[in-house]
Amino acid sequence: MNHYTNYPNKKGNSIRILALFLILTYFSSCDSFVEVALPSSQLTGDLVFKDKNTANAALIDIYAKMRDTGLLSGNLTGTSTSLGLYADELNYYGPVTDTGGSLYNNTLMATDANVMQIWNITYGQIYAANSIIAGMLDAPISKVDRDQLIAEGLFIRSLLYFYLTNTFGDVPYITSTDYRVNSIAPRVEIQTIYASIIADLKLASSLIQENYQAQGRVRPNRATVNALLARVYLYTNQWEESVSTASAVLNQSEYSLELPIAQVFLKESPSTIWQFGPKFEGNNTDFGITFIFNSGPPPFVALTEGLINAFEENDQRKLYWTTAVTNNVKTWYYSSKYTQNGFTGVSIEYPIVFRIQEQYLIRAEGNARLGRLTEAKEDLDKVRIAAGLIVTNAVTQQEIIDAILRERRVEFFGEYGSRFYDLKRTGNLNEALSTVKLGWNVNDALFPIPENEILINPNLKPQNSGY
Amino acid sequence: MKKISLSKGIRAMGYSFILGVSLLSSSISANNSLAYSTVQQQPSKISGIITDGVGPLPGVTIAVKGRFLTAISDYNGEYVIAANPTDILVFSFMGFKTIEISISSQKIVNVQLKEDATVLQEVKVNAGYYSVKEKERTGSIARITAKDIESQPVTNVLAAMQGRMAGVSIVQDAGTAGGGFTIRIRGQNSLRSDANEPLYIINGVPYSSENIGFSETSTATLGATSPLNSINPSDIESIDVLKDADATAIYGSRGANGVVLITTKKGKVGQTTFTVNASSGVGKITRFLDLMHTQEYLAMREQAFANDAIAVYPEAAYDINGTWNKNRYTDWQKELIGGTAEINALQGSVSGGSTQTQYLLSGTYRKETTVMPGDFQYNKGSAHFSMNHAASDGKFKAQFSASYTTQKNDQPAADLTYAARSLAPNAPALYTENAELNWENGTWNNPLANLNQKFTSRTYDLFSNAVLTYSIVKNLELKSNFGYTDTKNNEKRTIPSTIYNPSYGMTSSSSSLYTNNTARRSWLIEPQLNYNLHRNKHKIEALVGATAQSTTTERLHVIGYGFSSNALISDLASASLRLVFTSDENIYKYQAFYARINYNYDKRYILNATGRRDGSSRFGDGKQFATFGAIGAAWLFSNENFLKDNRIMSYGKLRGSYGVTGSDQIGDYQFHDTYVSSGNAYQGVIGLQPSRLFNPNFGWESNRKLEVAIDAGFFHDRIFLTAAWFRNRSGNQLVGIPLPGTTGFNVLNANLNATVQNTGLEFTLQAANFQTVNFKWSTAINITANQNKLLSFPNLQSSPYSNSYKIGQPLSIQKVYHFSGLNPQTGMYEFDDVNGDGAIAAPEDKETIANLSPKYFGGFQNTFNYKNFQFDFLFQFVKQQGVKYLPGPGGGMTNQLQAVSNSWQQTGDSSSQQKLTTGLNYDIISAYYNFTESDGAITDASYLRLKNISLSYDVPLPPSSKIKCRLSLQGQNILTITPYDGDPEFKFAGYLPPLKMYTANVQLTF
Repeated sequence: MNHYTNYPNKKGNSIRILALFLILTYFSSCDSFVEVALPSSQLTGDLVFKDKNTANAALIDIYAKMRDTGLLSGNLTGTSTSLGLYADELNYYGPVTDTGGSLYNNTLMATDANVMQIWNITYGQIYAANSIIAGMLDAPISKVDRDQLIAEGLFIRSLLYFYLTNTFGDVPYITSTDYRVNSIAPRVEIQTIYASIIADLKLASSLIQENYQAQGRVRPNRATVNALLARVYLYTNQWEESVSTASAVLNQSEYSLELPIAQVFLKESPSTIWQFGPKFEGNNTDFGITFIFNSGPPPFVALTEGLINAFEENDQRKLYWTTAVTNNVKTWYYSSKYTQNGFTGVSIEYPIVFRIQEQYLIRAEGNARLGRLTEAKEDLDKVRIAAGLIVTNAVTQQEIIDAILRERRVEFFGEYGSRFYDLKRTGNLNEALSTVKLGWNVNDALFPIPENEILINPNLKPQNSGY
Repeated sequence: MKKISLSKGIRAMGYSFILGVSLLSSSISANNSLAYSTVQQQPSKISGIITDGVGPLPGVTIAVKGRFLTAISDYNGEYVIAANPTDILVFSFMGFKTIEISISSQKIVNVQLKEDATVLQEVKVNAGYYSVKEKERTGSIARITAKDIESQPVTNVLAAMQGRMAGVSIVQDAGTAGGGFTIRIRGQNSLRSDANEPLYIINGVPYSSENIGFSETSTATLGATSPLNSINPSDIESIDVLKDADATAIYGSRGANGVVLITTKKGKVGQTTFTVNASSGVGKITRFLDLMHTQEYLAMREQAFANDAIAVYPEAAYDINGTWNKNRYTDWQKELIGGTAEINALQGSVSGGSTQTQYLLSGTYRKETTVMPGDFQYNKGSAHFSMNHAASDGKFKAQFSASYTTQKNDQPAADLTYAARSLAPNAPALYTENAELNWENGTWNNPLANLNQKFTSRTYDLFSNAVLTYSIVKNLELKSNFGYTDTKNNEKRTIPSTIYNPSYGMTSSSSSLYTNNTARRSWLIEPQLNYNLHRNKHKIEALVGATAQSTTTERLHVIGYGFSSNALISDLASASLRLVFTSDENIYKYQAFYARINYNYDKRYILNATGRRDGSSRFGDGKQFATFGAIGAAWLFSNENFLKDNRIMSYGKLRGSYGVTGSDQIGDYQFHDTYVSSGNAYQGVIGLQPSRLFNPNFGWESNRKLEVAIDAGFFHDRIFLTAAWFRNRSGNQLVGIPLPGTTGFNVLNANLNATVQNTGLEFTLQAANFQTVNFKWSTAINITANQNKLLSFPNLQSSPYSNSYKIGQPLSIQKVYHFSGLNPQTGMYEFDDVNGDGAIAAPEDKETIANLSPKYFGGFQNTFNYKNFQFDFLFQFVKQQGVKYLPGPGGGMTNQLQAVSNSWQQTGDSSSQQKLTTGLNYDIISAYYNFTESDGAITDASYLRLKNISLSYDVPLPPSSKIKCRLSLQGQNILTITPYDGDPEFKFAGYLPPLKMYTANVQLTF
C-alpha cells in the first residue's frame, strides 16, 4: 500500500487527505484487526472445567433445564402431563389438533413436533451431562468436588435414560460428546441400557456425598442416587437388589412419611429425597400452572373418573391432592398436589422428583414378589396409614402385589408417568387401557422415534411398530 | 425538521387540492380559447432536416404544441409539417433530448438533436466502488429508480422491486406492517437457508441485514424484520442490484448472494424547490379461503362422530353437543382479519443549491394500521439530509448524507390468521353484552385475548456517510468514504394473565414481560485511489482501495415476571422478578483490499478485472483471509464498421464474466468452543451451557459465477433487449449440517464439500411503442427462469442430507410419498409402497420428488402518457408449485375448506376427500399426515398479479406560477389470478398474506 503515498503532492490540502488514507496502513499492517476477543458472556470450554464454580454453573444449568423443559418438566413435554393423557389419568379439553389431542387419543405421529422436542431436549441434556463427566476427568480441582460433579453427571444421565427408554423403547445410548460417533449411533436394547444405568448409578453412589450439598434438597445426594437405583432394580425385576437398595434409602433418618398429607408437597417436606430448586425465590411449580383450574369446564386437562374412583373411602390423598370444581351441572377434579400457580414472594412448593413413599412401595413390592409377605404388608401399610387409611386386607401374594400397584396409582398419580410405566412393566397396559381409551391399540406402548431423526440417522431403523 | 415539514405538508396538502381543482377547470377553458383562435389563421408549410450532428436522423417525431398535428422525419432526416408562425414545434426522439422551437417567420427549421445522457445507454450505473455507463458496462446490474418507486404505496422498498427486476425474486413473508421479505438474487446458493441474504449497501456503507430482534419478543413479525424498513422509499434515488461475478467480485466475500446498492437522493443545482407529497389509502386482505358455514361444518362433525362410532357427543365437543348455539354463524375471516388498514403518508422536501453546493432536506411520516381488530399501528418518521460541495477549482469534492428513521410498531403479538381460518363457524361471540371478552364459561380460547398480548417495537436508525474526493493530479483522484450507522431497537412483548382462559384463575402475578434492547453500531473507512487515462483509442480506468469495518452489537434481553397489576405490565421495574436472559456484546471486524482495472479500446472492446482480498473475524486462525476476483469483457459490436449507422440495429453488445465471490454469513464467534450464560437460574446461580458443537475448521465458502449476455437496441434503441445466461456454482459451502438430536445439538457449522449450481436465463425487453408529443406508450417485460441443481455431494447417501437432497435435483426438492388415490373401499388415502413392506413409512417410500422452487417468474409493465395523464401498471407472474392449505384431518373441531364437505362416506363412494374422523382413527389421521407429505398435497400455486397500478395527472398550470401539481391514484396487489386456494404469495402458512392497497396522492412542487 505504501507506494501510493509516494505520489508527488503539490498542495497541502492533499497531504491532509492522504493522512486519512494512511490511517489504513495501520489496519493493513496487522492481521490482528480481524482477530476479536470472545464476548464477556462466553467462556472457552477448557476454562469452564478448570474452576469449581464455573463447572458447578454448567451442572446446575442442566437441572434448570430439566425443571423447565423435557421429560421431568411440568409442561406438555413432561411425562406427568403427556403420559397422564396417554394413559388413563387425565382427560383432555384443549384443541384436538394439538399434541395434547394426539396424546389423549393415542394417535401420535412419528412427525409429531412435541415428540421431536422431547427427544431433542433430552439428548441435549444428556450431552451437557456427558460434557461434565468428560470435562471433570482431569479437572484441576479437589477430588471431592470432582467426584461429586461426576456423580451428579452420571445420575442425571441415568435418570434421563430411564425415562427415555421407558417411553421410546430401544434408544441410542450416548456417553460421549463426539458428534461423529453420536450422529450415527444405533439403538441399544433396553436391557443393555438398564445394565449401563445400573453400573453408572453404582459408580455415582460411591462417588457422591452422603449429605446434601445445598439447602432445600435441591441437589441429589447418595440417597437420591440409590432411590433411582432401587427403582431401576424394580423395573428390571431384580427384587432382592430393589429391596436392599430401597432399604439403604429408608434407613436414612432424615426422611419420614409421617406428616400430614397436605404438607407432602411443600418444599420443606421431610418425605422429599430430591426436588428441583425454583428459577427464583417466589416461583412455584409448572405443575400448578398446568393442572389447576378454578371454574369448569376445564381449560386443558382434568383427572379422569377412573382415577377419582380408584381412591378408597377416607383417603386423605383424595381429600387434599384432588380438588373438585363444579358448575352445578358437572364436577371435575384437578391434581392439587401442588396448590400454587403464581408468584408468592417466597416459594412454597418446589417440583419434587423423588420422595420416600416410593421407596416404601418399592421395598414392599420387592418383598412381595420374593414371597416375604409380612415385610411387604408392613411397608404398604405405612404408606396407607400416612394417607389416613386402615391397614390392607390383602392376604395372598397376588393380592398384596395388586394392592401395592393400586396404592402406587393413587399415591403417584400425575407424577412422571408412574401409572403408565407401572402398567407397562407389569404387562397390564392393554388390558387396562383398551377399555377406557377409544384410540388405544397394542402398538401404543411405545412412542414413535421422531421421523426426522430416522431420516438423518438411518441407523435408528426400524421405527417402532405401528408408526 | 420533521415537525416543520409536517405542518407545512398538512397545509400544503389542503392548498394542493384547492389548487388542483381550480387549475383543472381553468386549463380546460384555456385550451378551448386556444383552439378557437387557431382556426382563424392559415397554416403554412414548414420543412427542414434533422441530424444528430453526424448524419440524418430518421424517425424523429415533429409535433405542433397544443395540437394533434404530427409528422415523422424520413430516411434522410427530412420532414414537412403545416404550422402557424405562432406555433411551437416539438422535436422528440428516443435517446435524444426533446427540443422546442418557436416558428415565428421561419419556413425552414433545421435541427440538430443531442443525445440524452439520462437515456438508457448514457445513464451511469452505480457499481458500488465505481460507476459505469450503461452502454459500457461488462457486468450484470439491474436497476430501478425513484420514478418506479414513487408510484407505489409501499413502506418497504423491496415491495417496490417485486416483479421489476430480472433474476431477483422477492416474496413478502407476511402482510403484517413492518414484516420481512425474502429476497433471492439468482436463486438459492447456500444450503443454509439463512445464509442467502444479499449484501445491502446504502450510499457505500454496508447495512447489516442480520436480525436484531429477540425470538421471544418479535413474535408478530416472524423474527426477521427487514432491514430495508429503515430506509424511506421516497428518499431513494436508485437501487442497483449487482448480479454477476464481474459486478459482485469487488465485494469479495460478501458478494456471493448479490449486492443491493441503494443510493439516496441528492440536491440539484437550481432554485430552492419545495416538494410536498401527501397520500392516504386503505389496505385489505387479497383473498379469503372458501371455508365451511355452520351447516356444512356441523354436518361434517356429525359424520365424523358417526364414522368413529361415537353415539354420545363427548363433553369437550362444545360445537356439537349443544354447549354452543348450533345456529350461530360467524365468518371468522371477515371478523378477525377482514378489517381495513389505513395508510397515511406525508412527505416534504427542500432542495436546491449553487453549482458549487447543493443540498436536500426531506422529512417523511407514515402511518399504517392493520386489518385485525384493535388499535394497532405502524408509524414511521424519517429525516434525510444530503449535501454536496465542490471547491471552486473543481479539485476537491465533499459529499455528505445522513438519514435518521424512527419506527414505532405496535402489533398484536400473535397473528389472528390461523384462528380466523380454524375456528368453528358456530364458535361463540367475541364479546359479552357488557363488552367484555367472552370466554363462554371457559369453553373456548377467545382469539381476541391474543390482542392483549402486545408487541411494541421502537427502532431508531442513523445512517451517515461522507465521501471526500480530491483530484491530486489530472487523471488521479483520491477518494475516501467514511460511514457510520447506528441502529437501536427496543422491543417489548407483554403477556398479561388476561390472555389465558379465566378458568385457570391466573392473576397479574403470572403476567410476564419480555424486553429486548439491541444496539448495533458500525463504522467503515474506505480510502480509494482512482486513475484514468484516455489516449487516442485507449481508455484505462483503475482503482485500488482498502476497507476497514467494525460492527458491534450489544444485546440485553430481560424477562420480567409477576406484576401487582396488569396496568403496570410494560414497566420492567414493576416486575416482581427480573431475569436477564442475554447481555452481551458481539464484535465483527472485517478488512479488505480491492482493485479494479478497466480497459476500453476504441469503444469496441472492454475488459474489466476486479479483485479483493478479504479478512473476517468470523473465522479461526489461519482461515481468516481469502482472495476473490473476476474478469469481465464486452464487445460493442454495433461500433464495428459493419454495423455502424445500421438503420435497424442501433446498439449491440456481447458481454461475459467469470469470477469467484464468497460468503461469511455464519454468525460471529462460531469457531470457538465455548460455554455461554444460559440466563436460567438454579440455586441462585445463573447456568452455563455449551454453545455449540465445536468445529474450528471452517472457512470461506466460494461461489464461482459465469455469465454470458447480449444487449441489443433496435431503431435507435426504441426496442431494447437484454438476454443473459448465468451459471453460479457454489462450493465448500459453509453450512449448519443437520445432525440427529442424539448429538445434543441439531446443527454443526462446517464446510461441506458439495457443489450447488444455479443456472438461469434472464430476458428483459423495453419498448417505446408509441412516441408522440401527446401520447406515449412504453412496455417493459422481464422473465427469469432459474434452475437449481445439486451437482456433487460426496457420500451423500451416508450423510444427514441423504433424505433431503438428490444429486442432479434442486435444493428445494422435497422427497414425498406418491399419492395413488382414495381407496373407495376404505375411504382412505393411499400411497405407493415403494419398498413393498406393507407399510407407508419414510424414508423408503418417499421416493417421489416435488420441486417447490419457481420455474419462472417476471413482470410485465406498461406505461401510457397522454397529455398530462400517466397510466402505469405492472403485472407480476410466477410459475411455481406450492403446498395446499391443509389445516388438519377433516372431522375435528377445526373449520375446513368447503371441498371437505364432499368426503367419503360409504363403501364405493368416489371422492377426493377421505373419510372423516373426530381425531380417534389413527389410520385415517396417519393417512392424512402422509397425504400432507405426498405429491397429492402439491398443487399449482402459480399466479398472475396486478402488482401495481398507478394513474397520475399533472395539473396544467401557467408556466409563470412555478408550481407543479400532480394528483395520483395508486394500487398494490389489486388483482390476483391463481388456481391456488388462498393467497399464493406466502412464506409461512397461517400468517397474514400481503395486503391489497389503494392510495390517493397529491404532490406539489414549488
